[in-house]
Amino acid sequence: METLMVDRVQSSLRLLMYSNAIFLCERLCAEFPSELNLQLLATCYLLNNQAYCAYQILKGTKMPQSRYLFAITCFRMNLLHEAEAALCPVNEPNAEVPNGAAGHYLLGLIYRFTGRRAYAIDHFMQALAIDPLLWAAYAELCALGAVEESNEYFSDVSAQRIQQQHLSDSSSHNSSTGSEYCSLPPTAAVNSVDSIPRQSKQFLANSTREISTLQQGVVFAKVQTTNSGTSNLSQYNTPSPAATQLSGVAPPPLCRNAQVFLNAASSDGSMKSNLNLAVQAPRRKFMDEGKLRKVSGRLFSDSGPRRSTRLSAEASIIANSNAPVGGNGSNHSAKFLGGLSSSSPTKANIASSRSLTFKKGQSWIAESFEEGRRPEIFDDSRTENMATTSSSISISADGRCLEQVKATGDLAHDSRLMSGTRELLGLLRILGEGYRLSCLYRCQEALEVYLKLSQKQFNTGWVLSQVGRAHFELVDYFEADHFFELARRVSPCTLEGMDTYSTVLYHLKEEMKLSYLAQELISVDRLSPQAWCVLGNCYSLQKDHETALKNFQRAVHLDPRFAYAHTLCGHEYVALEDFENGIKCYQSALQADDRHYNSWYGLGVVYLRQEKFEFAEHHLRRAYNINPRSSVLMCYLGMGLHSLKRNHEALEIMEQAISADKQNPLPVYQKANILVSLKRYDEALKELDQLSESAPHESSIYALMGKIYKRLEMHEKAMFYFGLALDLKPPAADVATIKAAMEKLYLPDEMDDNL
Amino acid sequence: MATESDGEEETATTAGKLTGSPQLSVDDDLREMAKKAAWSVSSCKPGNGVLSLRDENLDTYWQSDGAQPHLVNIQFQKKVKLQLVVLYVDFKLDESYTPSKISIRAGDGFHNLKEIKTVELVKPVGWVHISLSGNDPRETFIHTFMLQIAVLSNHLNGRDTHIRQIKIYGPRPNPVPLQPFHFTSKEFITYSILR
Repeated sequence: METLMVDRVQSSLRLLMYSNAIFLCERLCAEFPSELNLQLLATCYLLNNQAYCAYQILKGTKMPQSRYLFAITCFRMNLLHEAEAALCPVNEPNAEVPNGAAGHYLLGLIYRFTGRRAYAIDHFMQALAIDPLLWAAYAELCALGAVEESNEYFSDVSAQRIQQQHLSDSSSHNSSTGSEYCSLPPTAAVNSVDSIPRQSKQFLANSTREISTLQQGVVFAKVQTTNSGTSNLSQYNTPSPAATQLSGVAPPPLCRNAQVFLNAASSDGSMKSNLNLAVQAPRRKFMDEGKLRKVSGRLFSDSGPRRSTRLSAEASIIANSNAPVGGNGSNHSAKFLGGLSSSSPTKANIASSRSLTFKKGQSWIAESFEEGRRPEIFDDSRTENMATTSSSISISADGRCLEQVKATGDLAHDSRLMSGTRELLGLLRILGEGYRLSCLYRCQEALEVYLKLSQKQFNTGWVLSQVGRAHFELVDYFEADHFFELARRVSPCTLEGMDTYSTVLYHLKEEMKLSYLAQELISVDRLSPQAWCVLGNCYSLQKDHETALKNFQRAVHLDPRFAYAHTLCGHEYVALEDFENGIKCYQSALQADDRHYNSWYGLGVVYLRQEKFEFAEHHLRRAYNINPRSSVLMCYLGMGLHSLKRNHEALEIMEQAISADKQNPLPVYQKANILVSLKRYDEALKELDQLSESAPHESSIYALMGKIYKRLEMHEKAMFYFGLALDLKPPAADVATIKAAMEKLYLPDEMDDNL
Repeated sequence: MATESDGEEETATTAGKLTGSPQLSVDDDLREMAKKAAWSVSSCKPGNGVLSLRDENLDTYWQSDGAQPHLVNIQFQKKVKLQLVVLYVDFKLDESYTPSKISIRAGDGFHNLKEIKTVELVKPVGWVHISLSGNDPRETFIHTFMLQIAVLSNHLNGRDTHIRQIKIYGPRPNPVPLQPFHFTSKEFITYSILR
């Protein structure tokens, strides 16, 4: 009954019928309370977004998989310390992090959100070491600014690592596992392996029927399993003792293998009758029937791609230390490989069985390998080998495995794997390099890197968004608009990056587009912080700062770790001249992400307004250090220095800004301002003159020139330029100032505020 | 009868005759200034206090309860530039409670308020816009710590007065800090701030 229930639960999960799964699973746990079943129930809850329920049942569990699930639960409920304790128990300092790369990734996130940057970086790196394809960890490293110069993450070294670890890693595996990894603790004590030789003879006696079904299963095993294939093979050919060696040698790959294997092995419980028959007898001979049933039940019922179910199944395997499932799995899959490669009919089978559902073959595989009879049965030609090597379960070096595999003629598959891995790594390398450069704000280089992508990859929402963002950082709002628009067209439901797009539209003053974007995004997902940020920007553009603030605060509520929402709140508070709250918001943004240079900039501006010039310079410099290529930041830093009367440095940095971006007129203007305060009027006039040619409709240029001429007491020129300034219709405040200046022209210079 | 015009003459004490409009129409480069100010009134009836002047609700009103002139005092934390005062009054609903003569005074505090504007309202219904500017563009704004709106008399010689909402407007600050002038061209504005 338990098997059946587990199977139904997992199939419900696979078919996304969460309430059904939860109900059945609760019955299951009531009937057969065990940690494995609890894990399954927790998985159901987590998938149904009921983290709090999962929390209740997982509290205090000890198995690695349970700890991992508990950590995820706590993370979702924002109980970061408990999550950390679950993954790294305080009283077991050397306990291995459950689930390898995934565990490290989760730990990294926890450390990041609790402000321990160094640890976070460390764990993300470990995660990537275990699973080089864990993009999420890489992205976090980039965001933390920890991928500095060269990028060794998706290199050929990783390729080899993947190769070694997961020999027959196929694209199907990639898609299904994603970043899921587990570290199988080498607990699989291959007790039952010993039974293999004993049973082999009996099995040999079994009919070809078994062989054929086995072959089908084998094919699947071959397709699915990764390292296990190699490891098994090595078992084959290198008789050596212990099961422990087997499990010891390849924990991560094993895990992956087992995962894959289990996936492959999972059936919907619809076991073929012949398989059943085949496994009946051996079953009885198995040592620990109860456990076996549980494990095999899990194996059978474990469906494919559902990560959590895979994990739970795997965890059950891990937990079930008596059942050398892991080891066996790898054992016999390897043997399968061997068998497969040796006979051509199997090759044909491979082709055809690929189209078969996993279940059949897998369940067979699962069953039989538990019994330990699988290996023996399947390959006639290998029978003797099996008998001799059945007791040898050790996996030799990966290299040898590789050789074995190749030796057995499995070259075609192997090279497919290799090229597949290389391709994937190549793709990830380009994307990774581009992303890294973007995070370091070396946007020009990032753009060049992204152009190396294939058309197909380039024309995807994510890449186009990144390109748009790069243009945005380069203050090239037109291009940014163009790319973001393309991104929207290609994938209209992508929300990530839309907050940046809304800022682009804000800068371009495109009210229509912005409000349209806001409406679309809200209708796509009312609960996404980005949609509310866009709406807020819309209101802010119309100068309705209060409503904009409300919207940004909504975004903050939806995701308190979304730094940009905090920053935008800060901007709105500053626009409303509420500097205290503005500062608070900027600081919250920095708590979420201390490389968010916009917040440093915001703080600098607030302090400039409050005339706390030391603070201002400090904060603007922090912003500048994060993004040293932004001419706007350089300009502001120069303004900060000018306010501190450090005019030399200010001028230097203005020069830098001018050369960094020829299109930015502000540094020239500010330079002129500084020169005026240094009484270097002629130089200032020269600069302004040049500037007026590139920006002829800017009233402030003429106003400043008028001011200079007034100081130089060249009254006619002053009047002329003031007139020009007024013609360009500055706002009323400026009109007042300029006219006042004009009136006072022939009076001695009173040196009031501005004029 | 009063004319529509709100034309002003040289001196600040000339009465303009205003009737109010249903729309609140304020220039885009002005913004409401008095959210952080301290508001007080010379007298009020319980339940119709100073809060009703700022609650964005045109159904609630401030009702005075004392001798004329009735005063609304607005004190700012620092010297601000003000350009426009807008009141919402309704003759049809309030009749004899509707103010008819209003004087606006400004200064540093209660001790040195000086009248800067007087207006006369004639059966106003809706928003009454009272500009604080002088003729000269130099006098577009008044710089002051405090503003006082005094209701000197009501329609039909009513004693007490009803005002439903008051808003005070001034210029927007320069979005770029420490600048003597605003930027007007798109090139400058685009590069002038980060968001």
